[in-house]
Amino acid sequence: MYPARIEHYERPQSVAEALAALGRFEPGDAIFLAGGMSAMQAMKSRMLQPRCVIDLQDVAELQGVTREHGALRLGAMTRYAAIAADAAIPSAYQALRDAAAHVGDRQVRNRGTIGGSVSWNYVASCMPATVLGLRGAMLLAAADGSTRRVVADDFFLGPLETARRDDEILLAVEFPAPPAHCGSAYAKWGLIKDALPVVGICVMVGLDDDDKCVSARIALSGLADGCQRASAGEASLLDSEGDEQAIAVAMDAIAESVETQSDQSADADYRRQLIRSVGREVAARAFARARGQ
Amino acid sequence: MKTISVTVNGSVFEEDVPERLLLVDFLRDRLALTGTHVGCTHEGVCGACTVHLDGEAVKSCMMLAVQADGHAVTTVEGLARDDRLSALQEAFARHHGLQCGYCTPGILMNMTDFLTGNPDPSEDEIRHGLIGNLCRCTGYVHIVRAVKDAARVLRENTGGAR
Ligand SMILES: Cc1cc2nc3c(=O)[nH]c(=O)nc-3n(C[C@H](O)[C@@H](O)[C@@H](O)COP(=O)(O)OP(=O)(O)OC[C@H]3O[C@@H](n4cnc5c(N)ncnc54)[C@H](O)[C@@H]3O)c2cc1C
Ligand code: FES
Ligand code: FES
Repeated sequence: MYPARIEHYERPQSVAEALAALGRFEPGDAIFLAGGMSAMQAMKSRMLQPRCVIDLQDVAELQGVTREHGALRLGAMTRYAAIAADAAIPSAYQALRDAAAHVGDRQVRNRGTIGGSVSWNYVASCMPATVLGLRGAMLLAAADGSTRRVVADDFFLGPLETARRDDEILLAVEFPAPPAHCGSAYAKWGLIKDALPVVGICVMVGLDDDDKCVSARIALSGLADGCQRASAGEASLLDSEGDEQAIAVAMDAIAESVETQSDQSADADYRRQLIRSVGREVAARAFARARGQ
Repeated sequence: MKTISVTVNGSVFEEDVPERLLLVDFLRDRLALTGTHVGCTHEGVCGACTVHLDGEAVKSCMMLAVQADGHAVTTVEGLARDDRLSALQEAFARHHGLQCGYCTPGILMNMTDFLTGNPDPSEDEIRHGLIGNLCRCTGYVHIVRAVKDAARVLRENTGGAR
C-alpha cells in the first residue's frame, strides 16, 4: 500500500517554520507528521491524501517533559516510550504511564507521541481518555504568534474531531499541579494484549486527610461517541473511602448510564460488563496511589 | 523527488526518492536489502519490517524514506559482524526460533533493541516485548527461549559485547 502522491516534504526546525509551511497550503492539503502511527495508516489507506507532509521531528520546542511547581508539561512530540519510562511523573498522573506502557507494542511506543494521539482523537485510543480524566489542557499556537490553552473537556469534540483549528499546531499537553493525596490509573481491555481499547478507563481521585474522596474524575474510551466523562460514577465516588463496595456501586452507575455500542469487537452488554470489571481494578489502583501505596 | 542521505548498516547512501516512498521499499527495492520483510504494510501490525532507526526498533512500513534523511538505519543484514552471527541470531539457530523465517528479521531487530535496554529479562517481559511481531509458525515458545538464552550469553560475554 502506497500513500497517494505527495508533492512536498518539509522538515521545519521551529514552530514558526512549521506554521509557515502549513500556511502555504489550503486547509487540509498539508498535514503534520509526528510519529506517523495513525497518519501513515491513514495515508496508506488514502483516507488522507496530503499534498504536503510537514515532519515535526526536528522541532525542539515540541520535545521534552518539564515540571514547574508540580505542574507537568509534556511536549507534543513526547513519545510513549519516554512517558512509560518517566519515573518522575507524580502519583496523581500515573495514569499517563499506565496508558503509554501498553499502547500497541514496543515499535509503536518508540515512535508514537502524545501530541499525535490527542490530535487524532481516535475512538478506540488510550491518551485522549487519559488526558480527559487527568484534567489536562492542550496548548495550541497559531501562525500569528498567538497561543491558547484548551482544557480537555472542550478539546475532544467527538471521534476524530478536536477543537484544534486548521491553522494551529499543538505545542504541549499540560497538567496542573495536583492537590495532595491524589492518584490516578488507566487500564483497558482489548481483543489481544495491548491492543486498541474495546473499553478503556481512566480514574483520578483526590482524598482529604482522612482518606475520604473529595474529587473524582473518570473518563472512558472505546465508546462510539468518543472519549467522554462518566459523571454518574464521579458523583458516586465522592465522600467514599474507595472501598470495594463504593467502587462497585460507582462502576455499576457508569455501566447503567452510558450508551454502549455493539460492534465486531464486543456487544453493548459486554461493554457494560467490561466497564464494571476494568473500572473496579482501575479505581482501586487510583485510590491506592492516592493513599501513597 | 527529494535527495536523501541515509546511513544503512554503516554505509552512506544518497538517493533521489519520491516523497511517498516507504522506508521499507527504499531498503528492499532501492538498496536490495530484502532481509527486511513486508507482512501487512497497511496497519503496521505484523512487525516483519522492523529495523533500527538510530538504534531503536521501528516499523519501516510506517515511515517515509524521506523521514530517515540524516539518520542511521540498521537492517537484519547489519547484525552479523565479520561473517559472525550475533548472539541473538546464534541463539535462534540453536533453539529453532524460526520455521519459515518470514517473521525472523523483524523479531531479531526488535529483540536486539529490547536486550540492549533489558539485559536480564523475564519470560513475561520477553513476551510483552514481542507483541509487535506476529509469527504464524512457531507458537513463540522457541523464540522466547532463544531470546532468553541470548540474554544469558550476552551477559556472560559482557565486555565482549554482541
Ligand atoms: C500497531 C498499532 C497499535 C496501536 N495501538 C494503540 C493502542 O493500544 N492505544 C492507542 O491509543 N493507540 C494505538 N495506536 C495508535 C497510536 O497511538 C497513534 O494514534 C498515535 O501514535 C498517534 O501519534 P503519532 O505521533 O504517531 O501521530 P501521527 O500519526 O503522526 O499524527 C496523527 C495526527 O495528529 C496530527 N498531529 C500530530 N502532531 C501534531 C501537532 N503537534 N499539532 C497538530 N497536529 C498534530 C497529524 O497531522 C495527524 O493528523 C496504535 C497504532 C499502531 C500502528
Ligand atoms: S509490514 Fe510493517 S508492520 Fe507489517
Ligand atoms: S517462523 Fe514463520 S512466521 Fe515466524
